[in-house]
Amino acid sequence: MLIELSGVSKIYNQGRANEVRALSDIDLGVEQGSMVCLKGPSGSGKSTLLAIIGCIFPPTSGRAAIAERQLARLPDRFLTLHRRETIGFIFQRFNILPELTVLENITLPLLPLGVPPKERRQRAQELLARFAISHRARFPAGQISGGELQRVAIARALINNQPIILADEPTAHLDTALSREFMEIMQQLKEAGKTIVIASHDPLVFEHPAIDRTVTIQDGRIHVP
Amino acid sequence: MMRNRFPEPMRPALVFALLLCLLLAFDGALFIDGLARRKAEYATLAQLAVVTSGLGLTDLAVATEARYTRHPAVSDPVAPFMDHPGAIEHFPTGAFWLPPSR
Amino acid sequence: MAQRNLEKQLNILDYALSSLWRRRLKSLSVLLVFAAVIFLLASFQMVTKALSDKAREVLVHTPEITLQKMSVGRQEAIPLAYRDRLAGIFGIRRVVPRIWGYYFDEVRLANYTVMGMAVEEMPDGARLDTALASGTMPGPAGQGLVAIGQSIKKALALEGRTTFSLFRPDLSLKAFEVSGEFSPDTDILTNDLVVMNLADARDLFAIPAGLVTDLCVYVANPQEIDTIAKKISETMPSVRVLTRPQIQKTYQVVFGWRSGFGSICLLTALAAFVILAWDKASGLSPEERREIAILKVLGWQTSDILVVRFWESVIVSGLACVVGMTAAYIHVVYFAASLFRPVLMGWSVLRPDLHLLPRLAAGDILLTLAFTVIPYLAATVIPAWRSATVPADSALGG
Repeated sequence: MLIELSGVSKIYNQGRANEVRALSDIDLGVEQGSMVCLKGPSGSGKSTLLAIIGCIFPPTSGRAAIAERQLARLPDRFLTLHRRETIGFIFQRFNILPELTVLENITLPLLPLGVPPKERRQRAQELLARFAISHRARFPAGQISGGELQRVAIARALINNQPIILADEPTAHLDTALSREFMEIMQQLKEAGKTIVIASHDPLVFEHPAIDRTVTIQDGRIHVP
Repeated sequence: MMRNRFPEPMRPALVFALLLCLLLAFDGALFIDGLARRKAEYATLAQLAVVTSGLGLTDLAVATEARYTRHPAVSDPVAPFMDHPGAIEHFPTGAFWLPPSR
Repeated sequence: MAQRNLEKQLNILDYALSSLWRRRLKSLSVLLVFAAVIFLLASFQMVTKALSDKAREVLVHTPEITLQKMSVGRQEAIPLAYRDRLAGIFGIRRVVPRIWGYYFDEVRLANYTVMGMAVEEMPDGARLDTALASGTMPGPAGQGLVAIGQSIKKALALEGRTTFSLFRPDLSLKAFEVSGEFSPDTDILTNDLVVMNLADARDLFAIPAGLVTDLCVYVANPQEIDTIAKKISETMPSVRVLTRPQIQKTYQVVFGWRSGFGSICLLTALAAFVILAWDKASGLSPEERREIAILKVLGWQTSDILVVRFWESVIVSGLACVVGMTAAYIHVVYFAASLFRPVLMGWSVLRPDLHLLPRLAAGDILLTLAFTVIPYLAATVIPAWRSATVPADSALGG
């Protein structure tokens, strides 16, 4: 199991008046090379679960092991170190910095790793070529089309060759054609051995044949129909 | 061929370092010019020394209207302190404002 | 590992530079305003330093002891007869009487400094001709001859003419002829001078025979200036005794006060700028919050983001400092501190051409750095700790 959660709970602002219980008692295992969809309405705790899998913060209680590393009590600094080695993120609306060029956006995760410019460019070029957007490398990311933006976001999630890809509502702002294209790329990545977790309530995603499993989250718990 | 499609731009840190070097080179040029000027100044300094000792001067001719600088002979002991013994005149010529015009 | 770490720092520096470049209009305006503040501060420091250095170098040669008579708390003419009383004091080498005063030219509204003395009696008096651009110094015999400074020549419009007249106190005219003209190189000392012999000065100011304004006393052994000054004031209690070290000290104090006053005014400007920078840096715009959150999720440590901020501030303030100080130096040396001339010279009518050459020591540069760059860094980097409070998961939606 590449992702292994057992009894995971997350409580925001614990002990304070505005305490919120976002997740309770989640058990979830994801095999390497599989693609899982987390389904659920907004506010269900989907994003919190994604953040825990993405090593952004540790769970309040329970055990979470991502790529064989226990997250509990791991200080922020080491969470970050672990995150950048294992997790590639694709955000809702892609969270591309519009003033940066495509190339700069893609190589952002490599800067704190101390990858020299030449190597950065090489790695980015390979990905850009793979996604057929080489001609956009020097364009400011704010000036390219939605489809290109999506591919840039995927390229950024792959730049450090992370084994896990997390996508947060990736198709929420895409039309049907682009959503399909996104899922096709995800399928290719899965076939290439990546482990993929997508949080989405888009039927185009969770009904896609490449999805191995759909997990429904409701009120912070895994919903078993 | 890949490389040709992406002409390698200089990394910003390098551009900045070059800019900084350029600025410092300019400062270096100023410094060298300053040395030449210093030499010329030494020549006039000898003349200034002759003038000071030959005429017994006590002040630079920078603020010629000052009540207390040009020569102690035309000042009295409290002149540099204006209204109050502790209040030294701010500027040698007395004030920011011009004297009233006639 | 060290290689990687260096490369990482360079990458972060690259990022800081490119993010400054992305906001180039804003960065450039901050840089320019900051450079302007540093320019003013450094110019002022350089001008006062250049002037006070020059004063210190030049005032080494002022008369060793100057005697003035005091009466009713004011200075008045001193009788030449006092010379005889000085004769009894052992160690005095020479006493030179002088009439030195201001002549206010009512037409040009300018003060001329008139000196009447037997220059040949002064130390180096015989070499004074070497400081002249043309002509000779007026001798004891030359009736109505004067040596003038450059500004006097300009004020009296003496181009192509060698005679002029000044008013006596009773408004009768006294004619003078220019026998020598001080070199422009010595402007800083001789600019406003009209030098004549004692008799002419006495005639011009209508000072009774037997009186002068002051006596310059030279001693045999310069080590004994203070001792002899003390003896003189004991012998003649009504006389004010000014020694060379006293004049030098007073002058430096006055200069220190002037530059201190100016510096405080300018430091206020700096403080205002720093407060502004603080205010700007302490509020994070939504775009900045978003950028920080994205970088954090993508694997940037909080410290990396702080280092970006640090570099941005160092680059802006460092560049501003270099540009500001360079501009200040050019302003002082090549433009004779033209911006500060009004402040330095006030409403002086006769203004010398200044040839200023500040002697910049590492200490002065460090001082300027300490007063400009460090407050700016403090004002911009400390509030950047707020970026640590932006949670990484805010980059995730819903």
